[in-house]
Amino acid sequence: MSKEEKNIKTAIPQDEPENAAKTEITEQAGAQTGAAENAAENAAQKIEAAGDFSSYDDQAEFSKEQEEREKKIKEDESLPPDPNAILEVRHLKKYFVLKKTLLGKPLSQLKAVDDVSFKIYPGETLGIVGESGCGKSTMGRAILKLHQPTAGQIFFKGENIADYNQKQMRPLRTQMQIVFQDPYSSLPPRSTVGDILSEPVKVHNLVPKEQIKEYVLELMEKCGLRDYYYERYPHEFSGGQRQRICIARALSVNPALVICDEPVSALDVSIQAQIINLLKNLQEERKLTYLFISHDLSVVKFISDKIGVMYLGSLVEFGTKDEIFNHPMHPYTHALFSAVPNPNPDEKTERVVLKGDIPSPANPPLGCKFHTRCPKAMEICKHIAPVYKEYEEGHFVACHCYPQE
Amino acid sequence: MGLSDLFKKKTEETNADSAAEEKKSSSHYLTGKEVREIAKSNQKEMRRLEKEKNRKLPPSAYTSQMKNPENILEVENLHSYFFTDQGVVKAVNGVSFDIPLNSTVGVVGESGCGKSVTSMSIMRLLQGPSGQIVEGSIRFKTVDYMRDKNGKFIPEYETDENGDVIYEEVKDKAGRTKKDKNGEPLRRPKQAKDENGLGLFKKEEVVYDIAKMPISEMYRLRGRQMAMVFQEPMTSLNPVFTIGNQLDEVTLLHVPGATKEFAKERSIQMLNMVGIAMAERVYASYPHELSGGMRQRIMIAMALAGEPRLIIADEPTTALDVTIQAQILELFNDLKKRINGSILLITHDLGVIAEMADYVVVMYAGRIIEKGTASEIFHNPCHPYTQGLQKSKPTMKSSDDRLFNIPGNVPNPVDMPDYCYFKERCGKCVKQCSGKYPEMVQLSPTHFVACHLYQPRNE
Repeated sequence: MSKEEKNIKTAIPQDEPENAAKTEITEQAGAQTGAAENAAENAAQKIEAAGDFSSYDDQAEFSKEQEEREKKIKEDESLPPDPNAILEVRHLKKYFVLKKTLLGKPLSQLKAVDDVSFKIYPGETLGIVGESGCGKSTMGRAILKLHQPTAGQIFFKGENIADYNQKQMRPLRTQMQIVFQDPYSSLPPRSTVGDILSEPVKVHNLVPKEQIKEYVLELMEKCGLRDYYYERYPHEFSGGQRQRICIARALSVNPALVICDEPVSALDVSIQAQIINLLKNLQEERKLTYLFISHDLSVVKFISDKIGVMYLGSLVEFGTKDEIFNHPMHPYTHALFSAVPNPNPDEKTERVVLKGDIPSPANPPLGCKFHTRCPKAMEICKHIAPVYKEYEEGHFVACHCYPQE
Repeated sequence: MGLSDLFKKKTEETNADSAAEEKKSSSHYLTGKEVREIAKSNQKEMRRLEKEKNRKLPPSAYTSQMKNPENILEVENLHSYFFTDQGVVKAVNGVSFDIPLNSTVGVVGESGCGKSVTSMSIMRLLQGPSGQIVEGSIRFKTVDYMRDKNGKFIPEYETDENGDVIYEEVKDKAGRTKKDKNGEPLRRPKQAKDENGLGLFKKEEVVYDIAKMPISEMYRLRGRQMAMVFQEPMTSLNPVFTIGNQLDEVTLLHVPGATKEFAKERSIQMLNMVGIAMAERVYASYPHELSGGMRQRIMIAMALAGEPRLIIADEPTTALDVTIQAQILELFNDLKKRINGSILLITHDLGVIAEMADYVVVMYAGRIIEKGTASEIFHNPCHPYTQGLQKSKPTMKSSDDRLFNIPGNVPNPVDMPDYCYFKERCGKCVKQCSGKYPEMVQLSPTHFVACHLYQPRNE
């Protein structure tokens, strides 16, 4: 045996407690490689063998849990939608099939959004925070049916739109719109600003033909675009201006709900402030409802009334802004807050630094999904998934640190 | 055609005319002829600069002296231009700052303000022939290997107590002593070795003027004396080589006499240093198998492998998540204590700067508008732009209803005004603002600002 091989052999057992790091590699390598899957399974078995849960059959319990959940979902399905909510999402799931069997049945799935439920009331802003890859953008798109959801119900103004087809969706498109993250790639390069903004109006027949230009110019003015931009092409604008065009396009059909998918992440700080203020002004003026997706906590704090924290496809905490910021309950929320750099050089805050990266949603860890990185992880977290429960009014958390029954 | 139609057509025409005029005045509209003229004059200038870059010079032509021996890098009046067909973009327009030994200097500014071009100029990585350093000097204090006439390194020999060089017998591969013509054993001076068994070479302190250095000599500095961590870890690693391969290359290139075994040992040591748990495994894997945070750690490990005295980190956390950003910042803070060198940190995030930097340089439209220590910049920002930048960033503690925003955009870089570049967006303009571009004013030994508000009044 050469020296190197010995090194490898000694190195691996040392790293065993570093669960997070392990999953990092094995899972990033992709669930496609059988070896990686085996490694992850082995790791799971070892954990199982370590604690009090030695006689605990993970697989059997997991399927039991699953059954119970299915039952609950079925019970909830028959409930009537909340009449006050503009958008109610119930047990929304979006799975992407990675591998198929010969017959076309899914063999392995990527659970991008896994059982998400929430409500938004008119005029509110719901902020969704999470790391990249946690499924927040997929959720936004699934609500708009840009992705067909795998399961779950989406009530928009009392209608369940989850099973609507393209044709049925079309009239609803005037009600719900989206602003994408990257203003550089979400505008057609060959159309002028005027064309881009008048096309949705024409398609939905909202304004008589003669008044379209007037309508568009008025809209442009509201969004802070000069009138001579009408004839210009997107490449002539800076990022901030382009994002204004995107916002104007979303508002051109006069929607009630706008999903903002990281609208300021690609912009500079000073331009960010302009866009956020514009979104706030427009909300007051038009009584808009926003679903604001972002990874920047300070931005979300600024614009939202309610906040949902997402991790690996599910909500781990949900509540009003004040509740979440003053009494964060989930350890992940704690970690997210402490990760934000403090703009005061003299103040050194104690920081909870999470180890490792977010595990792959194609192969999420058993039990609580966060246990591989959680600073407060207990033995139970590795085996049983916590219940997503309301602890105070409107404050939902899924964590074993709090009583489960 | 009816009269009304004619009238309509005419009004449309006048509309088009006014639009064209608007275009001319607002955007910098150029005719084909103008573009060709600009291109022609640029061509000439670019050829001259390119020749200058590639000519051969004796080392004395590009060595210099530091103004302050405490500094590791001094940038003085740096001008880096891009020669485009629309005109000359003065991306860096007279920038001067120093990096003291063992400290972190942060450069903040919006995108397009020239912070990345500054770092690229320091590394001499500007994309030629359009990107060129036109003027200025960048003095960099290095500890470089001494060279003989042929450009070879001069070995350091072991000496005894009297200071005489120790000689050893030359042996061939089989271990027999080599003999000369007379049958006497061949002897040569014994080269000193470090703890790793690598031969030592003589080093000396040299100050290079990077801006004047021929580009072919830059290999002496890049990787060995200064290293760079790029913004996008996804695209800056080579996808067809393993991590180990790419890390070893640095050691093999920059440590004279390094063997493959030593390079591997060193690479794994570096991987451990940047907090990668399974160094052996990562060593053998390809970049696509790793996550963004891991890749950025690899980039940092790669930068550290040559033991540079200056690390330039160009937006090292911009492409990463908050939690991963926290990990990387923690790592940088930890490394700062462990390596004997300085960090130049470039970012647009004021929070990151506050956490990391000792000195802060604020750039706007290719110029430095304010510089000072971190606490001076954060507790007493003087330039209206710095103040605006701080106010426009929502923080975890702020509870205002509206964010402060700086109106407008950065002026067109092709055609900068003569007066203060920030005048159009500034809320505190005074009479002098329409005059000359303001000079740097010293407010405290370390705090400088370029604004007319702080200009001493003579009248």
